[in-house]
Amino acid sequence: MKIIGLSDPEVEVSLRAAGIGMSVPEARTIAGVLGRDPTLTELFCYDAMWSEHCSYKSSRSTLREFLPTDGPNVVMGPVEDSGIVAIDDKWCVVISHESHNHPSQVLPNEGAATGIGGIVRDVNCMGATVVATADPLRFGNPYGPKANKVRWVAEGVVDGIWQYGNALGVPNMGGDIVFNDSFDDNCLVNVVSIGIVRRDQIIRSRAPPLAGEKGYDIILIGKPTDSSGLGGVTFASEALREEDEETNRGAVQIPDPFLKNVLFKANDDLFKLVREAGVEIGFKDLGGGGFTCATSEMGSAGGFGMEINLDDMHKAADFPAEVLSIAETQERFLIISPPELREKILKIYNEDWDLPNVYEGARASVVGKINTGDRFRVSYKGEMACDVPIKHLTEGIRYNRLELPRTIKVSEPDFAEPADYNDVLLKILRSPNIASREHVYRYYDTEVMGNTVIRPGEADAGLIAPVRGEMFGVALAVDSNPFYGRLSPYWGGATAAAEAMRNVAAIGAVPSTLTDCLNYGNPEKPEAFWEFREGVKGLAESCKNLYLKGFEDQQQPVPIVSGNVSFYNESPDGSVDPSPVVACVGIMKDISKAITMDLKKAGDKLFLIGPRFDELGGSEYYQTILGVTGANVPIVRFDLERNMIYAVIDAIDEGILAAAHDISNGGLAASLCEMALVRPARFGFDVDLAGEGVQGSEGGMRTDKILFSESSGFVLEAKAGSEARLIELLKKYDLEPMQIGTVTGKRRIVISRSGESVADLDLDEARNAWMSGLVEAMR
Amino acid sequence: MKIAVMQFPGTNCEFETLVAVKAVDMEGEIFRWNRSAGELSDFDGFVIPGGFSYQDRIRAGVIASKEPVMSALKEEADKGKPILGICNGFQILVESGLLPGRSISCDKESEKGSNMGVGSGSNKASSNVDMALAQNVMISKGKIVRRGYYCDWVNLRHESPSKRCSGSFAIERGALLKIPIAHGEGNLVTTTPGLIKKLNDDQQVIFRYCDKNGRIINEFPFNVNGSTESIAAICNEQGNVLGMMPHPERAFFAWQLPAFDPRKQRADEAGPGRRVFESMKRYIEVNA
Repeated sequence: MKIIGLSDPEVEVSLRAAGIGMSVPEARTIAGVLGRDPTLTELFCYDAMWSEHCSYKSSRSTLREFLPTDGPNVVMGPVEDSGIVAIDDKWCVVISHESHNHPSQVLPNEGAATGIGGIVRDVNCMGATVVATADPLRFGNPYGPKANKVRWVAEGVVDGIWQYGNALGVPNMGGDIVFNDSFDDNCLVNVVSIGIVRRDQIIRSRAPPLAGEKGYDIILIGKPTDSSGLGGVTFASEALREEDEETNRGAVQIPDPFLKNVLFKANDDLFKLVREAGVEIGFKDLGGGGFTCATSEMGSAGGFGMEINLDDMHKAADFPAEVLSIAETQERFLIISPPELREKILKIYNEDWDLPNVYEGARASVVGKINTGDRFRVSYKGEMACDVPIKHLTEGIRYNRLELPRTIKVSEPDFAEPADYNDVLLKILRSPNIASREHVYRYYDTEVMGNTVIRPGEADAGLIAPVRGEMFGVALAVDSNPFYGRLSPYWGGATAAAEAMRNVAAIGAVPSTLTDCLNYGNPEKPEAFWEFREGVKGLAESCKNLYLKGFEDQQQPVPIVSGNVSFYNESPDGSVDPSPVVACVGIMKDISKAITMDLKKAGDKLFLIGPRFDELGGSEYYQTILGVTGANVPIVRFDLERNMIYAVIDAIDEGILAAAHDISNGGLAASLCEMALVRPARFGFDVDLAGEGVQGSEGGMRTDKILFSESSGFVLEAKAGSEARLIELLKKYDLEPMQIGTVTGKRRIVISRSGESVADLDLDEARNAWMSGLVEAMR
Repeated sequence: MKIAVMQFPGTNCEFETLVAVKAVDMEGEIFRWNRSAGELSDFDGFVIPGGFSYQDRIRAGVIASKEPVMSALKEEADKGKPILGICNGFQILVESGLLPGRSISCDKESEKGSNMGVGSGSNKASSNVDMALAQNVMISKGKIVRRGYYCDWVNLRHESPSKRCSGSFAIERGALLKIPIAHGEGNLVTTTPGLIKKLNDDQQVIFRYCDKNGRIINEFPFNVNGSTESIAAICNEQGNVLGMMPHPERAFFAWQLPAFDPRKQRADEAGPGRRVFESMKRYIEVNA
């Protein structure tokens, strides 16, 4: 394409006409480095590799500045497709976390399904067995002006998730769902996947040492390359406009869990082959940026160049070179391996697992060779389609974006205390953001693989026992509250990290690592970039101050080993609420000690830890009952938070708790009710709010604020006879033990204050409200 | 004693099923669909595990039922060897005629639509669909409250006397088992008059969905998928072939049970699903 010698407007016109999203200065830089006009294929390759999605051009410097990514348990930080942390000397957890927001907004079913499809490949390509997924979802207001579209998106996304995940055969350990207006035109579909790998069997996504000298093969496996998902990364790096919807649909990939299921099993045989042969290979999935991204990144990471011939690629039809180079056809992997393994590898895929007969045109093909040069060269039909310096292509560019605080007018409401708390409680329990998630997770196969110990809904985190014969378990929880993010992007980030850790602690697991998927608006707008920076700062502060348990003496942060940045979540009507979605992996040494949130026995005593504060900004109470957002969001009091998390983990390890649940959305009242309402729903409770700390840090707090403040904390059910020990343990951590009531066999929810009745609800009536809220919102 | 755990493209429960087979001290291995079918005669029993064989194309289980290995399995079944089909395995057994579901008939009415036009394989072209596992339809108080895929723990009541069927050989009549289901098509339906009565009379109904006290309540959530007479599992006339929608391999250890089951706390104990695999083993021992 001609660039040299043309004016900026002329270059702009030809770039857009060709469907290339890069800026004119970017195109000129490329032409300058090449010393000639780039080919069309070269421009497409650069466009993909230099997109925000692949290159993190706006975000990288901020991430480097703030996030802690190393620690004593970190085996691999955020350098490849997934991060890895150690469970013990032998086993590791592999985790990856991404967004598939734009595709899910335009084609919900396919978008969400390929989200799962992509994230499980990221984990599998490290040599790991994929053992769980989770989906943090954000949808628009199901009762707002765009209710129909919102419900269509929500239903399609849930269908896509279960249709893909269930067929693949990986259990869904949960996730969360939040509805709010800011997601009316931009849903968020984040996907998390975890895997298990032995430390000595990790496979890297790079050309191994000597790959260039020995001329290693480049082998493409899986589905034949087609034109699906063309320009997916460029599409993900722009704001959504309704008039582009038709074009955008073409950028969504096509999922195939069936082929993936077979590919995973064939990959296991590949891993076995290289272990037995004692050689190192490079292995990577094809995701954003397609073939070009996978090949060039692997070569570049090993310090090599490569020579590729697209004539040798298996393809669905005779597409032009630029399509074959960057299409995001699903269900593909890339292997870089020594030539002596070639025939054995091809046999695994083409004969043993019979890919050509499982899916038309699927197979393994040798498409090129690694060399000691520094060029990324692609030929097709006898012509050179691409010949560029490989590092220049993969290292991308950096932008220093401007930041400017977003000013919003907020105030705390002035209002009277409600007269009828029963009614308020029922409204809160029925709210789409509080109600039971059962309607959705019954679509998810939570049991496949037979590893599941704690399943969605039973506790604040899911738990699996992924290795038979080992006692350890891996816990997973996700969190982010967009309402807090809107009022304070900083505290939105900090509370997301703290709550995710609190969630895994509530079952007794020790928070081991976090991942972050940072969903924001257009970073070219200074306000959006400021929100992003604030969120990352908040996140980092929580990690740095809630030390890795076992290394608290060294003030070791909880590391963030993987993540993703998703900008441009906006439409002409505005951007999404700042949403730094955090996933936390927890390690449980002995799964038999894990506890759930359901009340266990009449007569057991209930304890609250975490004093209530007047900080109801963004709370469920303000929004559902008063219709306002308020101003003062809950903050993270780092020493208090750390002490609570540690105390709960220790208490569960000692076996003195029967149930635990963290306090978040809906406050103390919702947490208590959920413990009673979740299955088996056999017990009620009788609680009095008279205690000193219960009444707020300064005492004399209003009853509604005590009940619905979302200040961090836990509700604990002590095992009979263990109360004294629990109190002792809490005091050791400088926590004020507040015994607030008793589990009862009465099937009633009873709340009073200094003996005076506040609420008294029939358990079944409350359960009915709690069970119907989400069904109604998604109908 | 050697068990083959069958694997089709799309099967996704073979590994945990093999764990269950081995945990009751049987030998076992995974048998890939494109292995020589003749090798199946070396095995003493077979499990067709759950999953989405061939992507549930046409209807769950249809394509797998046409594989050459299924004809070989039919020959092994005729020798009296036990076959356990779980979830998609149940669907495959019904589609391939190893369980009531396809019969050879001259009834004109039922010939309509009988040849689905798929492959050739073990079934004669004139076989009829007598019974199928249709899409779940959850009905409560006369209203459809939900359809399609559903995953949850259910209670099962063992309906036949012990020794009637290989997969429940060592389970007494009336025994209750808590086991999870996870499927979109488990709703057993038939248009053939008298088929259900025949299954009942011949004690071929092995498990029904029930409440926690063993009562059969023919509506959601107890009858979890709308299945006729709450039927969750049936066997063939001889009793050696069992098909069941619930997954016993996922309820093999007590720690796999849901949080509200008190047995969960006894982590080392056996789960209810273990009894199905123990039964299969006992059946082989007795019939050896």
